[in-house]
Parts: sequence; structure tokens; C-alpha cells
Amino acid sequence: MRKLLIANLIAICILVSYFGYKEIQPALIYATHGDEYKELMYECDHAMREHYIAKMALEQEISDLGIKNLQSTELGLVKCHDYDKKRKLLLSKGLTFLDLQSLGLEALEEKEYELRKFVEIHEFRY
Amino acid sequence: MNLGIRSLTVFFIIFFNISIDASPEKLLREAVLLNGFKSANEINPATNNELVQIGKEFFNSKNISLNGDTSCQTCHLDKFGSADGIPNAVGVGGIGEGSERVKSYGAILPRNTLPLWGRGIENFNTLFWDGRIERVEDYIFSQFGKDFPSKDPLVVAAHLPPVEIREMLVEDKFITNNKQEKLTSAENVFNEIANKARSKEAGPMQNLANFYNIDISEVTYFHIAESIAEFIREKFAVQQTKFHKFVYENESLTDDEFNGAMLFYGKGKCSSCHSGPLLSDMQFHTIAFPQIGYGKNGFGIDYGKYNTTHNPNDLYRFRTPPLLDVENTFPYSHSGSVADLEESVIYHFDPLRYFDASESSELDRVEYYKRLSLATKSELLTVYLSKEEVDEIISFLKTLSFNPKDI
Repeated sequence: MRKLLIANLIAICILVSYFGYKEIQPALIYATHGDEYKELMYECDHAMREHYIAKMALEQEISDLGIKNLQSTELGLVKCHDYDKKRKLLLSKGLTFLDLQSLGLEALEEKEYELRKFVEIHEFRY
Repeated sequence: MNLGIRSLTVFFIIFFNISIDASPEKLLREAVLLNGFKSANEINPATNNELVQIGKEFFNSKNISLNGDTSCQTCHLDKFGSADGIPNAVGVGGIGEGSERVKSYGAILPRNTLPLWGRGIENFNTLFWDGRIERVEDYIFSQFGKDFPSKDPLVVAAHLPPVEIREMLVEDKFITNNKQEKLTSAENVFNEIANKARSKEAGPMQNLANFYNIDISEVTYFHIAESIAEFIREKFAVQQTKFHKFVYENESLTDDEFNGAMLFYGKGKCSSCHSGPLLSDMQFHTIAFPQIGYGKNGFGIDYGKYNTTHNPNDLYRFRTPPLLDVENTFPYSHSGSVADLEESVIYHFDPLRYFDASESSELDRVEYYKRLSLATKSELLTVYLSKEEVDEIISFLKTLSFNPKDI
């Protein structure tokens, strides 16, 4: 009887651990690392854009300042390395590609709320 | 010395010419014409009524939205001067009109809906805020590359909304599979829209087949787009406004309206950019309007024409919006961030008046400084205008209003 109880307890522990690992941990990771991931995503996106703009500007007109600007923005791309590391870490901790896409979309469209706030404030004369 | 005498002579010639030969009304009319203003009759194109009537059916039909629930009319409503009355357009999933639509949690788009007035006139060659469709001689610059579907920019423009995810498309499996930026994938979606129209809009599709003298199975999205463009040309044709009547029929304006027009074409230098028959030079400029919504580039950023050209000189530049019926096409700016005409005029010369640093994030501020620096570099930046002068300009702008045609 006691052995059965212990076996049941072990089974419950395994189930809880498994459920925790599969369901609770990703949710916790999503909640605790989400903001940092979104921030890094913005940083990388911004660095890539600045780099591309600097490159295009140099194509338009070659100048010392333009070259320095491009070099700086190249160094700035290191933010994308941080973003990539974070992305891999989150995947290894159980988040799925869909979770990361969802976080990415949240970051990209974070300012949607402003629209509703704006409409509430102004209440256009309909 | 010689220069002084010459200047004095020129002054007397101008002074006496103005005081003897030219009334202020005459001077204003001359300035208006010099800036390319034209009567409605001069610029409105001829249309084919049969095609207009078919186009009306498609313009109003939600079946053009392949798997969504929006029609062209959803965002181009008579009551909002052919726009939608909200800052950023709300596409698929949106319910109702105006603020109700914003609160309905449909898919928000990054930009303000442009009104359709005068889109059919001959020289309307640059479409959308970022000029993503532009006719240069016989070539149309667009996302279709060299395979643009028509030499008419309006017909090309009518091809875009139905293949825009969130605007008229929901991203389902079919759309995901066709999401690559390839002409063939757009073609697949257009074919599906035509197939859907054949079953859900059988009448208008048959009418199109009859119009083009082809079998209904040969009707493609191109024919639908041509009919929509024809409807837009007719429905949103320019109409004689109070200001047209002042210029062409010698009718009078009130003192405020007249003073506003004098400021618009004179001291305020508004006509430097707001010129031509629709009061737009169709060029790209930066005004330090605030940005709301997530922006075309995400994170609350919109690079404007740069998104089309990838030329850094085009960063934050947007096409000058035409001003016909501007009173009814609120809110203003590319992201609809400016609620009324007064604010809109003031942003042109005193953008910091409404800027509240405490309400913005660091990113918002840095982005704003960039736009501000470009806006203030412009030699077209207008001069200071008093409250009274701003009000007079608004009075003038209201003389450009008219009611939509009932088709």
C-alpha cells in the first residue's frame, strides 16, 4: 500500500514537473524575458536601419563623415548579436517560434494604443 | 546711388500699378491662377457611365476582400469627405464607422486614409503618402516593377488595397503561402479575387464581360480595377467650390475668407507647396507633425518616401496632401495625428507649441527631433502667423468644401 502511495507520488511529481517544464516554464519565461526581448528586437531593428541608411547615404555622396558614420553603424550592429543570443536562449528554454513572433508583433505594434487614446481625447465631430 | 533711384522707380511703378490698375481681388485671382488653380470643368476627365456603374458595385462590395470583410467604401465614406474620419485606417475585422471602428479592435493600419477627391484628373501622377505609385512619362513606378498592370496610375493604385494584409486581407494559410514579394504570388491572389467575384458578384462580373466584349471567364482583377478607377474618377470628381466661384465667376468672399486666401497665397507661403488645381505640388516635404500609431516602419516610426526610394534624402518626407474639401477630411497628417485645421496650420510654423515632452518616450523624442530638424531646414517654412491670421486661413480653407456626388 505504501509502495503504491510512493509510486503515485512519484508519478504525480513527474507529471507536475513535466507539465511545469512544458507549460509553466515557457509562460514564466515569456513573462519575465518578454520585455527584454522586445527591447533587443527594437535595438537590432534600429541598428540595421541606421546601417542601411548610412550605406545608402554613402552611395549618394562619398565623404569622410559618411564613411565614419557607416563604420559607427557597423559597430552598432553588435546589438543584433545580443538579440540573436537572446532569441536562441528563449528557444532553448521552451519558447516556440510562434511565441517569439507574437512578442515581435507586440513590440512592433506597441503604439496601437495611442490611436484609441487619441480618438477618445478628441472625439471627432461625427 | 543709381541703384537707389532705380529701386525708387520700381517702387513707384509697382505702387501706382497696384493702386490704379489692380484691386486686391484682381491681384489675388492672378496669384491663384499663377499657382496653377483650375476650374473643375477644366480638370475633370470624361468618364464612361456604363463602366462607372459597374465600378460602383465593386467599390461598395466586400467581396473584393478575398477572405476579409472590407470594401473600398469602408474607408472612403461620403460623410468624411471621402476618407474615414479616423487617424489610422482600420481594415479587416473592424466594425462600424468613425470612432466606433477604432474601438472595435479591427486590424489597424499604419497611416491615415487619404480622401479620393480629384484622383482621376490627368496630372494626378503621384499616389499615396509615400508616392509608392508614380507616373513618369509612360512608366509607372510601383511595386509591380516593369510589369505594371496599366499606364493609368489610378488603375495601378486600385490593385494595391486588395492584396494588402490587414487592409483587405486576413493572413490565412493561402495568403501566408503567397506572401513572398513576387508578382506571381500577387497574381495568385488577384485570380482568387476574380474567382470569388465570379461567384459572389455574378451580375457586375457579367456586365464587365459585356463591357469588354469578352467571356466572363476571361474577366480578371485588372478589369475590376479599371471599373473601380472609372467610378472614382466620376464619384470623386472635383466640383465648383465657393473659391472656384470667386476665381472664375467673380463671386465674392467674406472678409475673413479673402484675408485667409491672401495669407495662403502671400505672407503664409502656403502655396509654395499647396499649389496646382488640387492645392498640392505633388512633391514631398517634411512637416514636424507628431506620429501616432505604430507607423509604417514599426515602433512608432514612419520614414515616408524613403520606404519607396531607399534614398536617405527622402527620410520623413510625405507627399503634399491636396486641400479640396479639407474641412471634412479630418484628422490630418500621414498618421492622422492632428485633430483639426487650426492645429494643422500651426504645426507648419510652430510645431513645438503642442509638443509635450512628458507625454513621449525617449524614442518618440529622438524621432521627433529628426523630423523637426528636416522640417526647419526647409526654405519653405512659413512665417509666424497670429491667431487671427490662422483663423482667416481656416476660413479660406473652408471655401474649398463641397458635397460628394450622389451616384
